[in-house]
Amino acid sequence: MSATIIDGKAFAATIRGKVGEHVDRLKETHGITPGLAVVLVGEDPASQVYVRSKGKQTLEAGMNSYEHKLDADTSEADLLKLIDLLNADPAVHGILVQLPLPGHIDSDLVINSIDPAKDVDGFHISNVGLLGTGQKSMVPCTPLGCLMMLRDHLGALSGLDAVVLGRSNIVGKPMAQLLLGDSCTVTIAHSRTRDLPDVVRRADIVVAAVGRPEMVPGEWIKPGATVIDVGINRIEAPERGTNDDGSVKTRLVGDCHFESCAAVAGAITPVPGGVGPMTIACLLANTVTACCRANGLSEPEGLTA
Amino acid sequence: MRAQVIDGKAIAGRMRAETRAQAQGLAETGWMPRLISVSVGDTAAAEIYVRNQGRAAEQAGVEFETRAYPEDISLEQLTGVLTGLNADPRVNGIIIQRPLPAHIPVKALQRAVHPLKDVEGMHPASIGNIVYNDLALGPCTAVAAVEILKTLPLGLEGLDVTVIGHSEIVGKPIAFLMMGLGATVTVCHHMTRSVPMHSRASDAVFVAVGKPGLVTGEMLKPGAALIDIGINRVETPEGGRTVGDADFDSCAEVAGWITPVPGGVGPVTVSVLMQNAVLATRMQMEHYRATYTGAAQ
Repeated sequence: MSATIIDGKAFAATIRGKVGEHVDRLKETHGITPGLAVVLVGEDPASQVYVRSKGKQTLEAGMNSYEHKLDADTSEADLLKLIDLLNADPAVHGILVQLPLPGHIDSDLVINSIDPAKDVDGFHISNVGLLGTGQKSMVPCTPLGCLMMLRDHLGALSGLDAVVLGRSNIVGKPMAQLLLGDSCTVTIAHSRTRDLPDVVRRADIVVAAVGRPEMVPGEWIKPGATVIDVGINRIEAPERGTNDDGSVKTRLVGDCHFESCAAVAGAITPVPGGVGPMTIACLLANTVTACCRANGLSEPEGLTA
Repeated sequence: MRAQVIDGKAIAGRMRAETRAQAQGLAETGWMPRLISVSVGDTAAAEIYVRNQGRAAEQAGVEFETRAYPEDISLEQLTGVLTGLNADPRVNGIIIQRPLPAHIPVKALQRAVHPLKDVEGMHPASIGNIVYNDLALGPCTAVAAVEILKTLPLGLEGLDVTVIGHSEIVGKPIAFLMMGLGATVTVCHHMTRSVPMHSRASDAVFVAVGKPGLVTGEMLKPGAALIDIGINRVETPEGGRTVGDADFDSCAEVAGWITPVPGGVGPVTVSVLMQNAVLATRMQMEHYRATYTGAAQ
């Protein structure tokens, strides 16, 4: 194995540290405490875990956390009312509505009713357009985390050939925008792409976000390239034996075949422990950014695109 | 020369005829599409565009009114004008003519146009919809370039496409529109190390940079489609003339299809503006009905 392993956990801790410093400064110099409101509708177990962990890290960073847990049968109108209240609340700088929402609620309508300036997930259609037109926006957390890791590892990205695998609204598309913003030559490849190996082999930077376990083998990677693996896939791991109920044990893998890619790449993010930990760190970063903007203060250094 | 030269005027004419039929349908229900052109200060620079738009509107059955404001109008006053137009139900689309005086930031004005009246497709919400593959009102030039490619006998799914130029209103929207249609898109720009490496591997090349002669025949894959969005004024011994970003003669030797400049993307762009006017009017009509007649319930 030759590739440098990019330690997402350690880097996320660095980002959280920077967030903490900015929070301290905001408190001391301006008497402002950034606040993040998280809205959870229903009892989806995975969502509950995310929300708990977001709340915990928000408090650890010195910010205020406001959790709103609503019943699964909450009406769309009531949810929209809550969003209106949070939009109007000066103590709330960021609003996150945990997805997925129950089927009777129109997610797009809810997301687009958040004040774009408080939309720390960066999913509001205006933020998508602001990013698309190179204006100040809230940037989706996962691609922002990938960008920070790339900048940290490579320095300036200008002129590098980047391939983004996957064209999802939450990762692939904003990732392409961010890489273009840093002057990479960007190719967006996806399920309809004809000669995927050939396209990937041209790239100095590969960002894989398709959700197909170990789809990218090492022979697709240009020697020395930087590989950012956004995929988180659970696969069966018979080598680990069986659970008490007789089912086969599982493990998490990315979209890239780690061993073979690591043998060729210059640097690679592992799964787990790569991109994953960065996502919440960037959520905190976005909340600080939103707070600074809301108060007419300069952008927090090192925390934005 | 082997490339087929794409007749933008003919495509534009067909689109306008379709738009005219739709505009008539709307007019019969009391929703005659109406555009307002807003220009500020020295209007001479934009005059030819405004005149073209007026003529195209007439052909497309769309009402077109020009309003000119003095050079020294403030941003606040202009935003007020736009707020008034946004609120006026007899206005279905607002065009902000460029250039604007230096003290008027164009993006601030574009943001002030109501997204449902944004016939130029420049509001962040309009661009956001393009990125999310929900084509409502798209930026006219980008949509025109893609519409031209769609007239060619090329399967767009999996098509390898290079976009040269990553401007916010042309290059990037083209990339997202083409991606939405299933193409594999590469976006090149002034920092790209080797544009030919990408363009030569592509079945279709869009160029929108504003540099005459930037794309030459040897940068193209034989048989590829070349859509030239550049409009450059150059001086020649025979006098001034308008050329695109492609070196037309050498590209036409290699390409399968090529758009001329003038007479390619330009005329189609104005037709897309008229198409947007009709679309905007229909969206406003539906919004009005859903809001005031309880049709949504």
